[in-house]
Amino acid sequence: MNKKIKGSLAVVTAAAVAFGLSSVPAASAAVKTYTIGYQGPLSGGEASTGIDEQNAVKYAIKLFEAKNKNIKIKLVSIDDQGDPAVAGTVAPGVASNKNVLGVVGPAYSGATIASLPYYKSVNMALISPSATRVSLTDPTSPDFGGPIFHRVVGKDDLQGPALAKYATAGVKDAKVFVFDDQSAYAVPLRGFVEAGLKKVAGATLVGGDSVPNTTTDFSPTIAKIKTSGATVVIYTGYYSQAAVFIKQLRDSGSKAVFAGGDGVFNQEFPKLAGAAAEGSKVTGVGGLAGVDPKLEADFKKKMGVSSGVYSVESFDAANILLSGIKAGKTTRTSMLAYVKAYSGKSISGNTIKFNANGDISYGLFAGFTTKNGVLVNTGIVK
Amino acid sequence: MFAVLIDQFWSLTIAGVALGFIYVLISLGYTMVYGVLRMINFANSEIFMWGTFGTVITSRDIFHYTQTSEPATGGKLALVLVSSLLMSMLVAGLTAIFVEFVAYRRLRMKGTNRLATLISAIGISIALQEVMRLLTDSRPVGSPRVLEKIILTEVWGANIRLDTVITIIAAAAIFFILERFIKLSRMGKAIRAVSMNEDAAKLMGVNLNRVITTTFLVGGLATGAAGFFYITVFEYTKFNIGFTMGMAAFTAAVLGGIGNIRGAFYGGLSLGLLEVYASAVLGTQWKAVTVFIILVLVLLFKPNGLFGEAVQTTRA
Repeated sequence: MNKKIKGSLAVVTAAAVAFGLSSVPAASAAVKTYTIGYQGPLSGGEASTGIDEQNAVKYAIKLFEAKNKNIKIKLVSIDDQGDPAVAGTVAPGVASNKNVLGVVGPAYSGATIASLPYYKSVNMALISPSATRVSLTDPTSPDFGGPIFHRVVGKDDLQGPALAKYATAGVKDAKVFVFDDQSAYAVPLRGFVEAGLKKVAGATLVGGDSVPNTTTDFSPTIAKIKTSGATVVIYTGYYSQAAVFIKQLRDSGSKAVFAGGDGVFNQEFPKLAGAAAEGSKVTGVGGLAGVDPKLEADFKKKMGVSSGVYSVESFDAANILLSGIKAGKTTRTSMLAYVKAYSGKSISGNTIKFNANGDISYGLFAGFTTKNGVLVNTGIVK
Repeated sequence: MFAVLIDQFWSLTIAGVALGFIYVLISLGYTMVYGVLRMINFANSEIFMWGTFGTVITSRDIFHYTQTSEPATGGKLALVLVSSLLMSMLVAGLTAIFVEFVAYRRLRMKGTNRLATLISAIGISIALQEVMRLLTDSRPVGSPRVLEKIILTEVWGANIRLDTVITIIAAAAIFFILERFIKLSRMGKAIRAVSMNEDAAKLMGVNLNRVITTTFLVGGLATGAAGFFYITVFEYTKFNIGFTMGMAAFTAAVLGGIGNIRGAFYGGLSLGLLEVYASAVLGTQWKAVTVFIILVLVLLFKPNGLFGEAVQTTRA
């Protein structure tokens, strides 16, 4: 078949699909392949987050391809290890790969900032499922990701107060100790937690610390917690360190409530910490199972594993790009315009519509408590 | 500012001493090799990391302990702990010999310059780390709790825990045995002879290759023992823990005087204590700054470290 004819047929087919004419016989439909990317930590210490997110993207693609037989989606895996330094070396290659129409990600805020210059120069639409740093959508900040950056996750200025509320719930006159891991994610979040604490009746901030994320000996921090008489300890870093810390805190005899943000929100946390993690409170995102158990069952069947962290967000983000492809937005510029104007439903039931800075209007943070070695969803923090 | 230090002084001191002893054993790995070869074994940090996995594998895969199983008691406890220790030492010792063969021996025979050896050691160090990363899917590995962390007694408001006590006593014993070995045994004397003057030692009939391999082995054994104590106290390992611990131990070795075994001892202990005190007084964010400022100051006044360089100065 002549290439031109084949191309125009595909356009017709795509248009037919776009206008909802689903009765096009499969045999006559030319299959077209389009490419999107996923960027996040697929190796390195944070790999489990990225693998979970990418699985949700792959799942969205599977469902999409099953419904749209004439479109094939190629997924480019972009491994930035969650590390800004690595992100700066992989992003240029993706930016120069003309086939990539848009990217789900980057997963982490620091890596996003490092990648932005390369993607901005080529109008690549980015929809992050998990980069929550506030400055990314703050036009007055040098980290501002506009016009290409979007996210389908609530910002840390919403998470901080939610975490403060959830951590101190049920603790009378809570004396709170907050510490971070010195990362670009944890330091601002700690600030928002501390600001949020001011609005919690009876809670007082009694101390804090800032611990490098390579620390294994937390005895100085624990000494401070004991001296401060804290009844609630909030850590704004990531799960692997949280697991090491909570064991040492419990071994020291402290019974203070332990809480963490979505960095700690990972089922690996109770696995690593064992019995010491019991009762720990974590804010995080609901996950597929919490949103739609049927979808979760189907996910497990098709993907062979359970859905993980940010599965709802990753699924939503992928679906925006996929619906763009279905609507014939097959250049980067048209895809970016499509994403900016997008309005649709999240599988969580909320309406996804980006404001001028790339943020959605809602931020849902669910509270999780460790029971019998598993983080159990206790519902949205209100 | 000093409230925490005053309030929690003994808790901090005990934690610092336990951490210090782990540093002491790792820094032996650096100091021994430096004493003999005048070269830094950059792979020692990864030898340590592999050593930690020796303990995890023993308790988790050989004795089938899980995160939820009850801690061991009595004879079983002793058996698991001793075999974990031996396994960690074995793994680290063999890794150290492997490093010597691959990264050092051939290059040394060929008489290449020191930089080539330095790079080959860094290369093997990266390879060791990456292999472990792939084996563990980049995930942190929690070690099951074999030793229940019983609080034995309370001294001046500080909890004296079983795991810290075992770490301090056993690590001190291992250090003492190794020190005696270097000082008194025939092989130990050969190691010191090579360290003083390689050519003269060779003329006296010392088998250089054997001495160097033994040096790596002894350093590896000490580093492996450190891996065991690290797991016993922190119950956690990951493919990248070597860097931080190795850096700290190397600092300790330099602080005490690299190449000097006594120096490793005092350097490790001072560093452990310094780290916890600095973190408690100034905040953990100032830990590295304080430690390295003190290191620089010490080196300004005592360029060879607190106890001077080289194994041969190890005298009673």
